[in-house]
Amino acid sequence: MADQPTATERFIQGILPENPVYRQLLGLCPTLAVTNGMKPALTMAAAVAFVLICANIVTSLIRNLLKPHLRIVIFTLTIATFVTIADRFLAAYLYQMSKTLGPYIPLIIVNCLIICRCEVCASKQSVFTAASDGVGQALGFGLALLSIAAVREILGTGMFFGYRVLPSVWPDWVIMMLPPGAFLTLGLLLGAVNWIEIRRSRQSGGS
Amino acid sequence: MVTNESIIPPEPGGYQNNYLIQAWLVLLLAMVFGISLAGVQQKLGPMIEANKVNETLEKVPEVILGVKNAERLAKKGEALIITPRPIKIETAGQKKVYPVFEARYSDLSLAGWVTKASGRGYADKIELLLGFNPDATHLTGLFILEQKETPGLGNKIIEKKWRDQFVKKSTDRRLRVVKGGAKTPNDIDAITGATISSRSVVAIINKSAAELRERLALLAVTDKKDK
Amino acid sequence: MINPMTKKPNKNKVEQGTNEEAPAIHVAPSPHISDSVFTTRKMMVDVLIALLPLVFMSIYIFEFYAVKQLVICLASCLGAEALFVKIRHKSFTLTDFSAVVTAIILALSLPGTAPWYVGVIASVVAISIGKIIFGGLGMNIFNPAMVGRAFVMISFASVMGAAAYTDAGAVVDAITQATPMDAFKQTGVTGSISHLFWGLTNGSLGETSAIAALIGGLYLCIRRTASWEIPAGIFTAVFLIAGAADVSGAFSGHLVLHHLFGGALLFGAFFIATDPVTSPLTSKGKFIFGIGTGLFIMLFRLFSGYPEGVMFAVLLMNAVTPLINRWTIPRPLGEV
Repeated sequence: MADQPTATERFIQGILPENPVYRQLLGLCPTLAVTNGMKPALTMAAAVAFVLICANIVTSLIRNLLKPHLRIVIFTLTIATFVTIADRFLAAYLYQMSKTLGPYIPLIIVNCLIICRCEVCASKQSVFTAASDGVGQALGFGLALLSIAAVREILGTGMFFGYRVLPSVWPDWVIMMLPPGAFLTLGLLLGAVNWIEIRRSRQSGGS
Repeated sequence: MVTNESIIPPEPGGYQNNYLIQAWLVLLLAMVFGISLAGVQQKLGPMIEANKVNETLEKVPEVILGVKNAERLAKKGEALIITPRPIKIETAGQKKVYPVFEARYSDLSLAGWVTKASGRGYADKIELLLGFNPDATHLTGLFILEQKETPGLGNKIIEKKWRDQFVKKSTDRRLRVVKGGAKTPNDIDAITGATISSRSVVAIINKSAAELRERLALLAVTDKKDK
Repeated sequence: MINPMTKKPNKNKVEQGTNEEAPAIHVAPSPHISDSVFTTRKMMVDVLIALLPLVFMSIYIFEFYAVKQLVICLASCLGAEALFVKIRHKSFTLTDFSAVVTAIILALSLPGTAPWYVGVIASVVAISIGKIIFGGLGMNIFNPAMVGRAFVMISFASVMGAAAYTDAGAVVDAITQATPMDAFKQTGVTGSISHLFWGLTNGSLGETSAIAALIGGLYLCIRRTASWEIPAGIFTAVFLIAGAADVSGAFSGHLVLHHLFGGALLFGAFFIATDPVTSPLTSKGKFIFGIGTGLFIMLFRLFSGYPEGVMFAVLLMNAVTPLINRWTIPRPLGEV
């Protein structure tokens, strides 16, 4: 246990150095599907944050009782429970948003980001560490979703969070609102992140 | 259990090999989670159902009276009395139920009918609300409840300007989609670059208007006789 | 950096033996396609010469509209090429004329009525996402000009769709009529074949004149810059399918000619589908590629919402080119 990262390290790693989308390439289904606007992206990020943090805490609480060959079943069970709660909650309080997101909220169950964090961190470390890992990873995931959504919504509609930011003569790039726009934006941003990473490591290596 | 143990020689750790005992945590968690989910459903279920119904009911005055008149009515503190009157239609052996809503003014005179209808669009299902006057001789309004048409093109079917073309259209002749401006009273101007989406909406309307027109008119006649 | 100007820069390293780490004596099995004499630049100049009739015709028919699109696309393609090459710290590749060819093909595939930003965005996308991102000329999977056009076609459907080609108030005669392909899609009327042949119709700038495309295309095929197998495959498929449709419908033999001369078919068959980088290597593969492109074109023209399908057909067949290569490149004896 001694060489496991501490709670603070887990928290910081989740945001950028081990960003779920840009560094681990996990959770790409919602990343591509719901990022055509800031509002759905934010809702999705919040739902994933809720499920991730809760699942991490519960898994960490029962980590000493886990049997190796039954752990995945338990992870899935836990995740599914919290996803159902999030889904029902959205349908009750944010009905229009829940209709917009459609099947993608229930699909959080199969978001490999969450099962990965349960496996890597929560099933091995204390509740506090697991919780801060969950918060860090959720922030990183939200950051990635919102960055893609910002590009797509601004180019695709000239708006940001539903408010017009570009002049109305802006020709909407409809492709950015469609699935190809998601792939293009993700690929280009991924390239940008890698480019920054390479430059940083070169600079630190050179000095 | 006894027979099992006599066949399989007990291994070190004995009872741990029993599946049920091994899975105690899974079973316990499933139970706890199940109960808590039941609680959540108990609490939120009615709200979700109400959301679904409200979505339709909220739009009924607008579809029958138009946005301005509906607002005027709401300002006076009056509301339409809306009651569900599902109508069963049998065409070519196929049974179909239209979720029709009947709307009355506060003096109980008939204000009109609204039905939910759906059909295939360009991308996915289109679901809409269609309003009729009491005798069902013409349309009073259209509202798109659900659509996933192409952003910037097909999804212009939700725009008020396009939907307003359908107001006061007669129900006894089929509507026709034309490009570059409506010429005859039963023409609907297509959205530029989205002829298929425009046609889909018109097809849904033509079908439900043709199927419901006579039934609704009949209901209106019996309604008058009752008075 | 190895010289990127060979006809087929090491797309298939093993077959061509241009690999730098290759052993000193490298015996490559046939076909030996890499030909250092036949440089990219020579090819591109050939393509430019072949494009001249089309450029003249488009300026003759669409006047100012054609000049505007050509200037916009040339400026933005060259600008984008210079910019992205600089970002990648590669030597300046403008002199191989590939960006010029992309620009002209792109401009000729746009409607004259399209606003200025369409040309600019299409050019930048063509060069960046279509070409540079894959590693530059020779590495790209899809035809750059068509990537750019697809991007703006989907983005700005309201100014790129069939209806947008027509502008009743335009001073140029051609633009006041519906395009022949759209007219056929909407009303089932085939255009006047002689108009289609000479090009006195509306459409994308370079696609209207069948005769100009034929002259340029034949020049390319005779010079062996374009492989004749690809247009041959396309014509075979279109001829068969349009012929079958003709027999079943009542078009009195017009349909085949309408589909052969109408729309971007000839332009696409000679200038777009024959791009050596994105089409198969062997002549058998090229014929299969042509047949597939022709099938898709007719599929789109007859059954989709679009009146024209050359762009999507070429892009789809580009995607299966590596597969066709795998099937058709002969394996040396004894290799498993």
